[in-house]
Amino acid sequence: MLFNSLTFVVFYVVVTTLYWSFRGWELRKNLLVVASYIFYGAWNPPFAALLFSTTAMDFWLGRQIANAQNQSGKKRWLVASVCMNLSMLGFFKYGNFLLQNFQWLLTRVGIIYQPPHLDILLPVGISFYTFHSLSYTLDIYRGVLQPTRSLRDFILAVSFFPQLVAGPIVRAGDFLPQLAHPPRLKTNQFLWGLALMTLGLFEKIVLADTLLSGSADRIFGYPGPLVALDSWAGVLAFAGQIFFDFAGYSICAIGAALTLGFHLKDNFRFPYAAIGFSDFWRRWHISLSTFLRDYLYIPLGGNQVRPFRMALNLVIVMFLGGLWHGAAWTFVVWGLLHGSYLVIERVLRIFFEEKPWAGTLPVRVLAGFATYGAVCIAWVFFRASDFTIASRMLTGMFGGHPNGDAILTTRELLQIGIVTFGVIALHWSMREDSFETTVMRLPAWAITAIGSFMAFAIIFTQGTSNAFIYFQF
Amino acid sequence: MRSSISSFKQRLRLPRLFFRKPSREEQIHGGPPLEFERPIPPAQWRGIAVVVTIVVIAATAGWELHSRSLGYAPTFNDNEDLWTMARRRVQPESIVIIGDSRAWFDVDLDEFEKGLGKRPIQLAMAGSTVFPALADLTEDKNFHGTIICSFAPHLFFAPPGSPPMERAEKGIKRFHNQTPAQRVSQYLGMWLEEYVAFLKPDDLSLEGLLNQLPIPNRPGARVPPTFPPYFQTEDRERRARMWEKCAEPGSELAKRIQQIWIPLFTPPPPPSYIPPDVFMAKIKEGIQQRFADTVAAIEKIRARGGKIVFVRFPHSGGLKELEDKIMPRQQSWDPLLQMTHAPGIYYSDFPELSGFNCPEWSHLTAGDSVEFSKRLVPHLREALKM
Repeated sequence: MLFNSLTFVVFYVVVTTLYWSFRGWELRKNLLVVASYIFYGAWNPPFAALLFSTTAMDFWLGRQIANAQNQSGKKRWLVASVCMNLSMLGFFKYGNFLLQNFQWLLTRVGIIYQPPHLDILLPVGISFYTFHSLSYTLDIYRGVLQPTRSLRDFILAVSFFPQLVAGPIVRAGDFLPQLAHPPRLKTNQFLWGLALMTLGLFEKIVLADTLLSGSADRIFGYPGPLVALDSWAGVLAFAGQIFFDFAGYSICAIGAALTLGFHLKDNFRFPYAAIGFSDFWRRWHISLSTFLRDYLYIPLGGNQVRPFRMALNLVIVMFLGGLWHGAAWTFVVWGLLHGSYLVIERVLRIFFEEKPWAGTLPVRVLAGFATYGAVCIAWVFFRASDFTIASRMLTGMFGGHPNGDAILTTRELLQIGIVTFGVIALHWSMREDSFETTVMRLPAWAITAIGSFMAFAIIFTQGTSNAFIYFQF
Repeated sequence: MRSSISSFKQRLRLPRLFFRKPSREEQIHGGPPLEFERPIPPAQWRGIAVVVTIVVIAATAGWELHSRSLGYAPTFNDNEDLWTMARRRVQPESIVIIGDSRAWFDVDLDEFEKGLGKRPIQLAMAGSTVFPALADLTEDKNFHGTIICSFAPHLFFAPPGSPPMERAEKGIKRFHNQTPAQRVSQYLGMWLEEYVAFLKPDDLSLEGLLNQLPIPNRPGARVPPTFPPYFQTEDRERRARMWEKCAEPGSELAKRIQQIWIPLFTPPPPPSYIPPDVFMAKIKEGIQQRFADTVAAIEKIRARGGKIVFVRFPHSGGLKELEDKIMPRQQSWDPLLQMTHAPGIYYSDFPELSGFNCPEWSHLTAGDSVEFSKRLVPHLREALKM
């Protein structure tokens, strides 16, 4: 079920109304479990069984880890959990990719092998709920979480519908404690949740789908060379589209959870105003970057190791982060690019961080724009379906196709320009604050005007229920 | 006040310590959620919500009234979900209409039912190429009914990856992969479309209105022509009828649409990245391939006892001249019938079918479509040996 669909509107109204009408907390939690499974099953009912089996296994394995008498016993159960989760993810998401690469390797050594094409349907949101579930056993192993006694509570923690299919990646340790006591219906919290949902839908339906996605799709789908203006416009359109699409989903999820009395953490904090790549990853898909940091980067030694090893750790983490996004080498290159950006940044810091001019405003602004430019270049690999397209795009962006085609209308160029300028300006103006602080500064009439505009724009735009980009991950 | 704001700001500004080691109380499931609580900006949310609701309702009502004053009325939107609904109704022995917008506008289902003894299912899609629907019916092992296939050469031969092909494939894909949620959304959407006139994504949405902005494009830019505005209504069975305003002889709307067909159906210049002779060779190869694929599909359907008849629906004015020049009958229609050994009805071959005028050059008016269908039925019966 998509947030930007009529089915969700009806589903949400019914679930929320029932939820707040029920008196018993246990009954409410049962309702949320049923609703979450309906939400998930509305895509493909059999996959709900897969979701349940992953959850039930991790529930049991979590208990085994906690009950193990010694560290090696705990480790064995954790390995079982990691293998179970990653093999499930590997089969559904990377099965064909691995087979294709295996075939390619065999061909290199002269063996002709034709692998069967596995007709595997990717369960929506598998990368997200696998991480929700995995965080539980990992945190129990790390000693920061006690296993819950209630399978129902754990099922709800993994499958809670607002964050189930496209994040934020909510760790069981952040969610389970919220199931201990029933939240009270607070009018301001409920209405603020609705406001966040409106903002999220506005970002998705109006900005991402209507103003940007068409241009990005045309540019990346064009089979010929393009002039620099169109190439850059396509990349900027995609940079905006992916932000509004994913941040929009996250805000909707946070808002929907809030209206039900649950608190989810921010997933974005004005990433296009990042100064440097460490800063970018503290602002972009925060729930994934902190997940990778805590469960991968730090166990690998983090930055408490020699510089070369630290650089290698960064590259490994970003390589896997890239692969998490999709079973294609283009995603791997995207991840590796970000890994190398992080390494270069560390090196530059060694030389320049202490310089008196390093913290001045012009340098910070320049560094911010350089970060944005480099992020956009990496987006080319993220969006392009193969390296031919990526290479053609990059050549076009750097003036390699002066006689290439121009395929965007002036209106589309204006739309991309205005939205890109708007998002960068807004991110820079709010980069030191939170969104809530900014809203707090606004007078009531301005909040009312903006809220009315966004809500009417959603109706006026008549979205076509395009799926969120991150559903495919 | 100042201090409370600054402490609030301070609280928000502080980076969250996501993974500090929790205290003993926090470790125990069942403990209070100490670590994180989202801040709620202090504001008069109740009052704001009331005003926003009133403003949005008023603006929506205003937009609805304005849309109606422009002549728009509630009608279903043609999309892949409505097509899927029709496709689901196909039974093994159904009569199915496939093709482009001419079959969609020009066929009256009541007249066909009266004349053919069975109510046909309308699967023609505006601006689409017919081959994906034909291939889909071919792959449907249960289907051995009758296919009435519209033929408009510029769409029939549309290559893979072109918008007409993508449009057709979108419908087929949705039919095979429609999720329960999409199905429910379609029913809810149809319920709204029955009452609300402004639900016209092509014309009255933000995107539709932005498309109509008269902003000149760069010289030499390869920009697709803008699609015609709303000029039809559609019912639950996907029967399209031309809007009366467009059907008026010499109406402004009809003239406007006439001028859109010309750039829309004029073949674009060869792309800059392929040498022209290679491009032309590819086009010819594509046409031969489409002939071959169509022949293969029809043979499969015939082997199961199915039947097919091709119909060339009326067109007129400048569009007829353009179509006849780009794809003359001798290079498209004649070889198609020859290769497939299928019967065909070319409207201009029969005096009773050729007297119709298309106000916007491509489709019949709602009234004429009824008369045309009535006159077409005997030819169909004969061609299909019914």
